[in-house]
Amino acid sequence: MSDLYDAVIVGGGMAGMMAAVTLVEQGKKVAVISKGDPVCCFSTGCIDVLAYGDDPLKGLGSLPDSHPYHLVGEGSVEKALALFRKTMSEGGMPYIGDVHANRKVLTSLGRWKTTCLVPETMEYADFDPDKYIHVISFYKMKDFYPQYITSRYANADYSVFDPGVITTAGIAEKFESRPFLDTFISWLQGLHIPEGRIAIPAVLGRSLVGDVYRQVSAGCDRKVFEIPTLPPSLPGLRLFAGLKNALLRKGVDLYWGRGIYSVEKLGNRIEAVTLANAGRTTRVEGKAFILAAGSFVSGGLQASMDAVTETVFDLPTYLPGTRDVWFKDDFFAPGHEIEKAGIRVDASFRPIETDIENLHVCGSILAFSEIMKNRCGHGMAIATGVAAAQACGGLI
Amino acid sequence: MANCPVFKVNPAFPGPKQSGPDAERFRSDDEISIDRWIRLCSQCKRCDVACPYGVNPAQIILREQSRFGREHFRSLAYRLFANNYWLGALMSIIAPLVNIMTPRTFVQRVLNVFGISTSIPFPHYRIHSMNRSWRWKGSRKSRKKVVFFYGCFINYNRPDIGRGVRDLLASLGVRVVIPRQVCCGLPALGNGDMETARKFARKNARILAEYIDRGYEVIYTCTSCGLTLTQDYPGILQVPDGKKISENTYNLHEYILNLIQERYIEPIFDSYHRRVAYHIPCHLRALGIGYPAARLFEKIPGLEVSILEDNCCGLAGSYGFKKKHEETSVKLGADAARAIKAVDPDILVTDCGACKMQLGYFAGMPAYDPSEILMKSLENFKAGK
Repeated sequence: MSDLYDAVIVGGGMAGMMAAVTLVEQGKKVAVISKGDPVCCFSTGCIDVLAYGDDPLKGLGSLPDSHPYHLVGEGSVEKALALFRKTMSEGGMPYIGDVHANRKVLTSLGRWKTTCLVPETMEYADFDPDKYIHVISFYKMKDFYPQYITSRYANADYSVFDPGVITTAGIAEKFESRPFLDTFISWLQGLHIPEGRIAIPAVLGRSLVGDVYRQVSAGCDRKVFEIPTLPPSLPGLRLFAGLKNALLRKGVDLYWGRGIYSVEKLGNRIEAVTLANAGRTTRVEGKAFILAAGSFVSGGLQASMDAVTETVFDLPTYLPGTRDVWFKDDFFAPGHEIEKAGIRVDASFRPIETDIENLHVCGSILAFSEIMKNRCGHGMAIATGVAAAQACGGLI
Repeated sequence: MANCPVFKVNPAFPGPKQSGPDAERFRSDDEISIDRWIRLCSQCKRCDVACPYGVNPAQIILREQSRFGREHFRSLAYRLFANNYWLGALMSIIAPLVNIMTPRTFVQRVLNVFGISTSIPFPHYRIHSMNRSWRWKGSRKSRKKVVFFYGCFINYNRPDIGRGVRDLLASLGVRVVIPRQVCCGLPALGNGDMETARKFARKNARILAEYIDRGYEVIYTCTSCGLTLTQDYPGILQVPDGKKISENTYNLHEYILNLIQERYIEPIFDSYHRRVAYHIPCHLRALGIGYPAARLFEKIPGLEVSILEDNCCGLAGSYGFKKKHEETSVKLGADAARAIKAVDPDILVTDCGACKMQLGYFAGMPAYDPSEILMKSLENFKAGK
């Protein structure tokens, strides 16, 4: 009896976790290695597929040929998103929306964010600006100012509730207690809010099943929705917890909190990776490997003055020319050239210009993804994660 | 901060980011520590595991906790629990008396006065402790030789598990030696007494290093002892030979998996039909070795395992036994128990002694050690070597 994994996935973010779901459902033995909790914890919890047009899937056609979405193809993107929704629903956190329709979500700055699939708690976030909206705020809550929202809309007002704590995680924890929830609901009822929608910063409970949200909605008899907050963002944390619990349920082995220390290669194949533990390394052996370590923010890519390197397998990276070509003062300017940097792959998501045979790459580390410009982060991670896993699963 | 169990239920604790790296910028060795809330951290190390950028807030906090302990008066509860080893030794000698006395109301009142919480029952102590057991098993000629570091909980409270582990390893063809040893030092470290922690650690290090030089490897089952041996001996405790110990120390299940992987043994696992809730102790997560016991469980036919890793039991060694942490501990314990009951298990399994005490009480079912499941499944197996 061998203890070899069929696939070892490096990176526990959206792409890595969805790759793991895909492979484990094919009956493969899978391990996921992650240095720590992924950046999706900081996200709004919404699944952006592509911010162009009304139908994100139709919008794929307008992307340049080099974009990783084209490697997946429209039909497979749709299937991958369906697998994501199925996985989340099984864990009690259904996602709302139509993959063929973009929708809007209200942000804590009072502006709109374009996205595609949203958690149940944001189903009603695309309100009609002409109708009445009531924002609930919490006394001294960090980084949330209802005036940002009410000042933008003529037909808006807000009320403040004092939960006794000021942090998002602290307030969310309070909502897990029944007496607190009852006090809040009766306070809400006492406000006699006019007909319209009620917006509450995303603190309605820590757990992902949405019980608190449902009870608040029923209690005030209005359409309620959550506004994603700055990190720590509860919807992002719930998304992560939902996927991670799905992996545990399906029998994926997790190695969390340690980075890759070394890679063992034999000829053209990667045999094992070792994790940097306190004294000794832990060896994780696999038939195939999937790299989903993310881009600069997650540490999958690292930039120095004259190069961009891939930090785990030292794969060749693509850079849009030398520094003087892509350098721009404003990093957040849409369409920054450095966003194109990453790993180039072939049709089966294997890195090009390298002789390694049993490695596939997916997620934001892929070259030409331009996530900030296209606003396709989670969608692309899910689509390429599933596609790379399918390519990988066909070989093992 | 979202990963910190204490932060979630106790608003008085500013959370790992603020009490670790943020506050560290304002600390100076020339000034006395004034961060009283630093002691609210239970050292579960979930923040260390969560941070993807290699910042270890718990390590920063631990350093500050031991400085705070040095510079301020430590109450009786802190001093007592720091010397949990001696406390255990005493309790074990008078075990029958202790086991009768601790559930009594007036004894509990006295304990409360001294700042000791009685929210969960005190563990039962055993006279026939581990350090009074048979000190070796298995052939001297065996290729695989280990020293068993059993830890205080097994020693004083559950020596039956310790003896079971010894017999299990021997049946797998491994020679087991159980030398005299003391507390790993974690209780002292956690109660702000670095000096005592070092004393314990040095003593163990001398014993363990000698065996390692003779080709033995060190095995632990208590994940907190394991973390201390591998992370703190070469780290904050600066023990001579700490690195050597760290490099040669294995979790029991990790070790057995390696034996299987190296084909030293090819065990046949008997079926064991149970639905198991496996509560992952925080310090097993922090070890970064994955969940080796869960990988062994997969080989046992009939065993259906739910892995629960999102809750800290809240007891955190002696943390929850202090009156001032009682509320935090009880809330976390009840939360973790809810998660366990939600999977409707036949049995509850967890590696850590503290988790066993706390969750056994809150979930209302006995908590088993993962090795006890293996013992059941491998009852009939004997290595042919």
